[in-house]
Amino acid sequence: MKRTIWRTRLVAGIAALLIAGACTPQAATPSESASTPRPTGALLTAQPSSAGGLTSDGKILVRWFVGLGTGGNPEQLGAESAAVAKCNAADGACTKANIKLALEVYQNDVAYDTLATQIATHNAPDIIGPIGVRALNGFGDQLLDLSKYVQAKTLDTTGIEKNLVDTYVVNGKQIGIPYAVYPSYMYYNKALFKEAGLSEPPHKIGEKYMMPNGSQVDWNWDTVAQIAKILTVDNKGNDASKASFDSKNIVQFGFDFQWTDPRGWATVIGGSGSAVAADGKTAQWPETWKKAIQWYYDRLWKDHTTPTQDYITALAGGNTFQSGKVAMDFSHTWYTCCVYPGDGTTPVKDWNIAVAPISLDGKITAKLHADTMGILSSTVHADAAALAMNFVMTQPDIVVTYGAMPAKAADRKAFFDALDKKFEKLDPTKVDWQVASSMLSYTESVNHEANLPNFLKSDAAIKQLQSDMLTNGTLNIDNRLGDLVKTLQSTFGGG
Amino acid sequence: MMTLTLARRESLWGFAFVSPWILGALVFTLLPMAASLVISLTNFDPRYPDAVQAVGLANYQRLLTDPLVLQSLGVTLKFALVMLPLTLAVSLGLAMLVNNPRLLGRSVFRTLFYMPMQIPVVATTIIWQGVLNLHTGWLNFGLGAVGVAGPDWLNSAFWVYPGLSLISLWGTGNMMLIALAGLQSVPTELYEAARIDGAGRWSQFRHVTLPMVSPVLFYNLIIALIGTFQYFTQAYVLTNGRGDPDNATLFFNLNLYREGWRYYDMGYAATLAWLLFVIVLGLTVILFRTRSRWVYEGNTR
Repeated sequence: MKRTIWRTRLVAGIAALLIAGACTPQAATPSESASTPRPTGALLTAQPSSAGGLTSDGKILVRWFVGLGTGGNPEQLGAESAAVAKCNAADGACTKANIKLALEVYQNDVAYDTLATQIATHNAPDIIGPIGVRALNGFGDQLLDLSKYVQAKTLDTTGIEKNLVDTYVVNGKQIGIPYAVYPSYMYYNKALFKEAGLSEPPHKIGEKYMMPNGSQVDWNWDTVAQIAKILTVDNKGNDASKASFDSKNIVQFGFDFQWTDPRGWATVIGGSGSAVAADGKTAQWPETWKKAIQWYYDRLWKDHTTPTQDYITALAGGNTFQSGKVAMDFSHTWYTCCVYPGDGTTPVKDWNIAVAPISLDGKITAKLHADTMGILSSTVHADAAALAMNFVMTQPDIVVTYGAMPAKAADRKAFFDALDKKFEKLDPTKVDWQVASSMLSYTESVNHEANLPNFLKSDAAIKQLQSDMLTNGTLNIDNRLGDLVKTLQSTFGGG
Repeated sequence: MMTLTLARRESLWGFAFVSPWILGALVFTLLPMAASLVISLTNFDPRYPDAVQAVGLANYQRLLTDPLVLQSLGVTLKFALVMLPLTLAVSLGLAMLVNNPRLLGRSVFRTLFYMPMQIPVVATTIIWQGVLNLHTGWLNFGLGAVGVAGPDWLNSAFWVYPGLSLISLWGTGNMMLIALAGLQSVPTELYEAARIDGAGRWSQFRHVTLPMVSPVLFYNLIIALIGTFQYFTQAYVLTNGRGDPDNATLFFNLNLYREGWRYYDMGYAATLAWLLFVIVLGLTVILFRTRSRWVYEGNTR
């Protein structure tokens, strides 16, 4: 009897402990423990501050939120933490200004929702970034106008081209400073060109392209379409220019334009434009963009020189150029990450880069990606945040770890030298990086990722067009674009 | 001092032991449900927490005119009409197969049929994305070997349902085990009696097996029904959340997710969640009310 009573009390006690354990709040992870990042979701969470955004020892706490763009990979944590430690050192810029910089890092797939949750609970960070133009549109109207800090040189834009700085002027507000830029150009697989007996594409603006018959033609998108046919091959070795070509068994494609969307396609192929008229509320799809979309659709379903969705999925899980089965691919400097993802992966060994073809509007347009950092307008320490942000943006290791081309021209040589070192074991022929630098002078007048009214839904509608183009070979492009404009007009109005 | 009766004391101990569950249900289920009901009456966008306003029944009115609501419900119901009978039939069929004494290595087959349950759904979906690929997938390769041109499983608005069905059927191991347990609880003397009366295999199945396992089938049906209406992961992974092709895989939950976590329209997403709750609850009540007509419950029937 006594044993039963004690056993019962023991069980009840264990149950009570379980309940108490479930109710105890989790201890916050201190920001200094960066040595063992968690592998999923949050890699590093920041130390919470006391009221007024101060630390327990009275310093101004400036929280830096990473993960919306690059920066959320475990291997980048070291450089980011080192930069923060340097700022917080006894003789660091932050300490001198009575600032404590705290880093929080989230992987990209959770970063947006995490930030939205933090904003919703009035626990927003101060600095966000790196972040690209598109991602900024999700939170853009919550960013501080940095104009006064640029004028006061707290944020240093010396050495950055004006057109790049202007990329981040939205509705009259300077919401970011480009610290890393990613111009775009044509990646091409030299081995496939050699195999097809074709000349390599030009590396200088204004250079002509030599066709197989010896004629010199403009390097434009029609030329790309023609040579893409020769570079597209079926499983029996027939290329797409031949009548015997089997479009159901393609093993190699002439051209792809991976990892962008219809606005990206239309901007580069058609020329600069915008899906919203100058009044900021009327949906449109410019005539040059219509031609560009039709051009791209013909490559997908008429010439079959560009992979459709099924082939994209089959080719290296969507990284088509890296599969070695795509001869030309238009992309940005950041794509150097993925031409050779790293040890243990299959690299494209024999490649180089060429200038952008002349767009359908007669000009050259090489779309731009640019990373920035921004300060949320909810910050209570804007001056401190600007100072800390400038420190981080001027750390060379940060730019290198992000694989980013520095916005400042003076810093670019070191960046390209590092890339040469990365690729030298694959191919001794150096990539012609002056192509990348030269493309910076041909960026679009309206960024292809610029804000649209009701951006998230408008962007989703444009991506739906992309999906339809890649999966449906029976579209009437004119009608489909008409539907898109109607949908955009509806979403612009809040629908 | 008040003396508690034995019955009272036993009740209190029972309550104490079930209290963790009650606390969990309150904190993690009931309170969030109440919060979502409140949110459904607002225009809450987490990016603008200070701009939240009560909008009354505006979100519910929007439900009535939003074409995507009907579309996503239609997609979900269409899939349910295909998948529910198929899942029940396949799981029962597999259970009967691995319950057959003539099958050599029954335990090995049981393990093999159950093993896909151990693979995370996302990994499964990515694997099947490769298997169902139009040009390079194993399925079309196999069909091509016997002279059949394989369809575009993932990009055809018609064939995407059989494609998704194949992915779902691969994971019926759990329901197979439950059906197996039901089969093994059928008294063998019933089969003997049926055989003595001259019943053939089909009659034995129809008049002995089915009624005796009907409670288990009912359980599987409820679980499968709820699962079908919660269908999300496979569609999301295959289409990156877009519901392609042409909204053919825009399941109700996927539409809900897009509204809440792509567009941050949490108020409307909460409204969609309540609509889903009402629909699933209604269907479950109908099933429970009608169970007496087709579920054998021993002496009570």
